[in-house]
Amino acid sequence: MGVLYNLRNSIEEKIKADGLDAAEIRGKIGLRTGRLMALISPSTPDDAASIAKFRQAAKEVLNLSL
Amino acid sequence: MKWNSIRTKVLAAMAACLIVGVTGTLLLLRYSFARNSQALATESVHGAQRLFGILEARETSKMVAVTEALATNPEVGAALAARDRSRLLSLTAPLYLQLKAEGITNWMFHTAEPDMSVFLRLHNPAKFGDQLNRFMDKEVSRTHATVAGNELAKAGFAVRTIRPVYDSAGHVTGYIEFGEEIGRFIHEMKTQTGDDYGLLLNKKFIDQKFWADTSASLHRRDDWNDHPTFVVADSTSASDRIIQFDGDLSAVGGNGEVLERFDSGDSVFVRGLFPIYDTSHNTVGAMFVVRDISGVYVSMRNTQRTLVALSVIGLVFGCGLVMLMLTRLVFSRLQHIIRVATRVVGGDFETEIQVETDDEIGQFEQLFDQFRRVFVNVLSEMSELQEREKV
Repeated sequence: MGVLYNLRNSIEEKIKADGLDAAEIRGKIGLRTGRLMALISPSTPDDAASIAKFRQAAKEVLNLSL
Repeated sequence: MKWNSIRTKVLAAMAACLIVGVTGTLLLLRYSFARNSQALATESVHGAQRLFGILEARETSKMVAVTEALATNPEVGAALAARDRSRLLSLTAPLYLQLKAEGITNWMFHTAEPDMSVFLRLHNPAKFGDQLNRFMDKEVSRTHATVAGNELAKAGFAVRTIRPVYDSAGHVTGYIEFGEEIGRFIHEMKTQTGDDYGLLLNKKFIDQKFWADTSASLHRRDDWNDHPTFVVADSTSASDRIIQFDGDLSAVGGNGEVLERFDSGDSVFVRGLFPIYDTSHNTVGAMFVVRDISGVYVSMRNTQRTLVALSVIGLVFGCGLVMLMLTRLVFSRLQHIIRVATRVVGGDFETEIQVETDDEIGQFEQLFDQFRRVFVNVLSEMSELQEREKV
């Protein structure tokens, strides 16, 4: 538990660091993964498929390897 | 550019329409040009044929009128009846000089039957006594009425008239014949129209010796061996192109035929021919006509180019206009919906879709904005629930 939440945090940090449009980036990743980033909390259970989708989305949208 | 986008597909369809449209226009213009050229060539042949007919009729009526006047001249009639050649020559020689200036090339007096030989040739007084035995000699002897038509004789291929001369008792004392070389016609036709003409005669209707004699009397090169089936009676062109022909002259249709369109230097020509008949209605030869259609050709070509250019411009403009309308009415609005949807999913619940028109996309925008509001409400409620759970 917590991997998805960590991934979310990494993405948020990248958005903040690069000064990107947070709503747009979160939206793009949310549409690619089928999950709303805002609803991912530390208690969100991990599943392998969602983790893989988040990593792929982060790579495609932010060119960020997680 | 995305290959699977509607924009790309519409562009590809329009490019295909553009190509098909321009190709169609080109083919249509090409067909139209070929038809116009053919019509022009046909008109050249028919025009030449009409002009030849007019000149033939004019000269025939002129010769008939002169023949009538001479046949009723008592002095001429008496000299012919008396077979007084020198008297006849002295009476008619001054008039022959005038008629020669008017185009009359042959003037003959014939004796009456049974020998019906040439009694006097005004155009060659030293030669007489021969029998011609032509169709028109037999015809005038049979009918004792004026006979007119084209006939080949030693002095050339000519339009001729022949009529009997009667004495006071009503007996035929001889015949008067006038002839005008058809070769002269083609030079007059060239003067009137500017076209080139060539008169070809079928060897089938000409004796080789006869043609050699004709050529010698006209101080013309004997061209008997130049072509296998015909001889060239006269031509207004120095080029042999006008008379190139491999077919059968006697098979040429009554309305003539168009043979070809050809280029020579910077000029474009059309060439055709129409049949020439003798008195017995045999197709003894053909008149070739060559018309320079460069002016019309260039004009048609320019029109063709202008129309193609206008078609391309019109189609490109049309494609551009359609793409502009599609972009404004469909693509940019869809792009806006995608952007709003993305932002809503990303947590921006304030961005709305402004529905400005009630068209198909406007209806979709309205529906999508309603969906967005429902989604935002659900999301807000879920967030509040999560917060409450944390507390």
